[in-house]
Amino acid sequence: MDFALSEEQQDVQKLAAQILAQEVTVDRLKTIEAGEERFDATLWQQLADAGLLGVALDEAYGGMGFDFETLCLLIEEVGKTVAPVPVVPVLASAALTLQQFGSAAQRERWLPGVASGKLLLSAALTEPGRDNPAQPATRLQSAGDAWLLYGRKHMVVSADRADAVLLTADLDGALVLLAISPTARGVKLIPQHVTTGEPQFSLVFDGASVTHEDIIACAATARCAVQSLVQHTLVGNSVMTLGVTETMLKMTAAYTSERQQFGRPIATFQAVSHRAADAYIDVANLRLVCQQAASRLSARVDATEAVLIAKIWASDVAHRVSQSSQHLHGGIGVDRDYPLFRYCLWAKQLELTLGGGNSYLTALGDTIAEDFKHLVKTGVVASSDAAQQ
Amino acid sequence: MNIALTPEQLALRDEIRAYMATLMTPALLAELSGEQREGGGPLHRKALRQMGADGWVVRSWPKEYGGQNAGPIEQYIFSDEVIRAGFPYPFLTTDGVGPVLAEVASDEIRKAVVDPILRGDCIVAIGYSEPAAGTDLASLTTRAERKGDKWLINGQKIWTSYGHVADYVWLAARTDPHAAKKHHGISMFLVPTTAPGFSFTPINTLGVRTNATYYENIELDDKWQVGPLNQGWRMITGQLNRERLSLVNHGPCELLYERVATWAAQTDAGSGSGKIIDLPWVRTNLARVKSGLEVLRLVCFKQAWSMSHSSLGMDQASAAKIYGSEFFVEAWRLLLEIVGQAGALCSGSEGAVLHGVLEHRYRSGSVLTFGGGTNEVQRDIVAAAGLLMPRYR
Repeated sequence: MDFALSEEQQDVQKLAAQILAQEVTVDRLKTIEAGEERFDATLWQQLADAGLLGVALDEAYGGMGFDFETLCLLIEEVGKTVAPVPVVPVLASAALTLQQFGSAAQRERWLPGVASGKLLLSAALTEPGRDNPAQPATRLQSAGDAWLLYGRKHMVVSADRADAVLLTADLDGALVLLAISPTARGVKLIPQHVTTGEPQFSLVFDGASVTHEDIIACAATARCAVQSLVQHTLVGNSVMTLGVTETMLKMTAAYTSERQQFGRPIATFQAVSHRAADAYIDVANLRLVCQQAASRLSARVDATEAVLIAKIWASDVAHRVSQSSQHLHGGIGVDRDYPLFRYCLWAKQLELTLGGGNSYLTALGDTIAEDFKHLVKTGVVASSDAAQQ
Repeated sequence: MNIALTPEQLALRDEIRAYMATLMTPALLAELSGEQREGGGPLHRKALRQMGADGWVVRSWPKEYGGQNAGPIEQYIFSDEVIRAGFPYPFLTTDGVGPVLAEVASDEIRKAVVDPILRGDCIVAIGYSEPAAGTDLASLTTRAERKGDKWLINGQKIWTSYGHVADYVWLAARTDPHAAKKHHGISMFLVPTTAPGFSFTPINTLGVRTNATYYENIELDDKWQVGPLNQGWRMITGQLNRERLSLVNHGPCELLYERVATWAAQTDAGSGSGKIIDLPWVRTNLARVKSGLEVLRLVCFKQAWSMSHSSLGMDQASAAKIYGSEFFVEAWRLLLEIVGQAGALCSGSEGAVLHGVLEHRYRSGSVLTFGGGTNEVQRDIVAAAGLLMPRYR
């Protein structure tokens, strides 16, 4: 058991922290947010030039060749600064899935461009009313050698800039994972306005053409690929939540230590310091479940429960720490001239991405129930307490 | 980063689990299910001596005492398995007071006390709290005065667990009533429970039996004063940090979670609704316990890992104590809900589920949020040491 980061990981962490802290100033955020869309193209290219966009891509594609756990260090720093760069959808959801499940041609086609910053990928995971990408209403229809795509995905990050979007569709009851260009004929892009201002789009497919080379995986392989995609996305977002809540906590401790009321810093009131202490415990706990989930995914061992638990904690901690931070700040916490509000908006968006914590609590409960029913059925539980009654 | 136990650590866990299974004989279990639930009965003392003889007590100690210098993670695995097995192991004696005595006591005391501790043949109770000195421990008033070449001890302690069966009390007493600050002027003593003037009365709490202990003109030779005179406070606080760590082990809760889940998978819900575990809210309760428990497990191992890298911060120890103690209260509630009304049936009752263990657990569980340093003080520590927030003076 080892909780330490390797030297290489520490270097990646330092590099990411240095670039993001230097570039993502409040003024820079304000400038970007006053523009057309919340995407910092200059920063994205800087991250690419530093090698960070390829941190978890193989060296063959111009990457650094590290694992998902190391990518999470970059994601955490992005969360800490709420930088306008879509690291989770592009790197954790799309690129890693292509690297693991794409054909040689697909990897060659997309991954070097992701690492160099010349190409952008995204993932379309949800549909109106359906947060589970493994059960899409979007469908493929056979048309000779190819297929036609019908349906609708929504809340697709940076779909306007994406060269390809990964998505799931149903083909006569079989799950298919494919990549499609959002500018292809038969695809309509509709901008959406989401709470953080992140550029998100509805994608409407009305007979868009899909060929063999667009298909990443089918049937059982697709289920496996989609499960992996979802798990990496959930953990990526949980790690981003960790970064977001860390900064909120730091701001809250600093502000309440300065802010004077009744002749003393409000941090000296236990009602204030104890609520901050609870937020501290929440963030520390979230760190542990994120580390465990990321470490298991990187080691390619079963991570089902670890991922569910990370998402459950991330959702709860996002909500609690955000509310506590705003409350302890008082009025200034809701003022858009003070930087806290961005973190609160991100906390809520991340909490809801791919569904809230309670849906995952239900999923965890189902997993537990199946496990114990299996143990009882196979007699692994030798001396049953019930039998001793 | 690799947040999994190594094959060696897993093997150690299995070895201890198997060992404890043989140690916990039906006769010992029977002794521990009655009046002597907290230990100290003849079979418990015998089993403890057996553990000493088999080398388990000395394992975590440095090599010069014949130990193996077991690391904090290995020691955590050991303590977790021992508690999980339901054996009342005197950790505060073996891993709290014992090492302190080994470090600072005279050769004579080491021979008289440390050696028996390592043989599993000595239990030391902790005499810190007083009726008027709980969370504000430094205001304790039990006093030790010089009388010729002896010490004269007078005072009262409370919550002296094991006080009725212990061989010694590790006693904090005021030796300098004129010290400038109240946490100065405190010294540590080993009081043999056979000394004339020592007595106790039971305190039957909601969960366990503990004691009030009385010290009436007890005359002690100077050798029983241990460590630097008037500087006992540092020894107490070091000891409390240690205690906090062993308060929130995850193993017993994990075991109970598994037992309740198994029971729910075996028991019919009635009227064709399948098993109890098929009820949606039962699954949610189990998931809540599981996700909280997983964090507790990680928190405990992270602490042990930090200790092996000598980087355990005060904020980390306090955060673990707060989280663990409050999680237990919630976990017992969620598990009791699954058992339902029968969760209120006591151990030994007709129809008790899982031998009434949950009914006992929730009663004893309420102690932890204030015992071992009340959670308000722990939160003060987290805010000050973890978040660098100023404190009110």
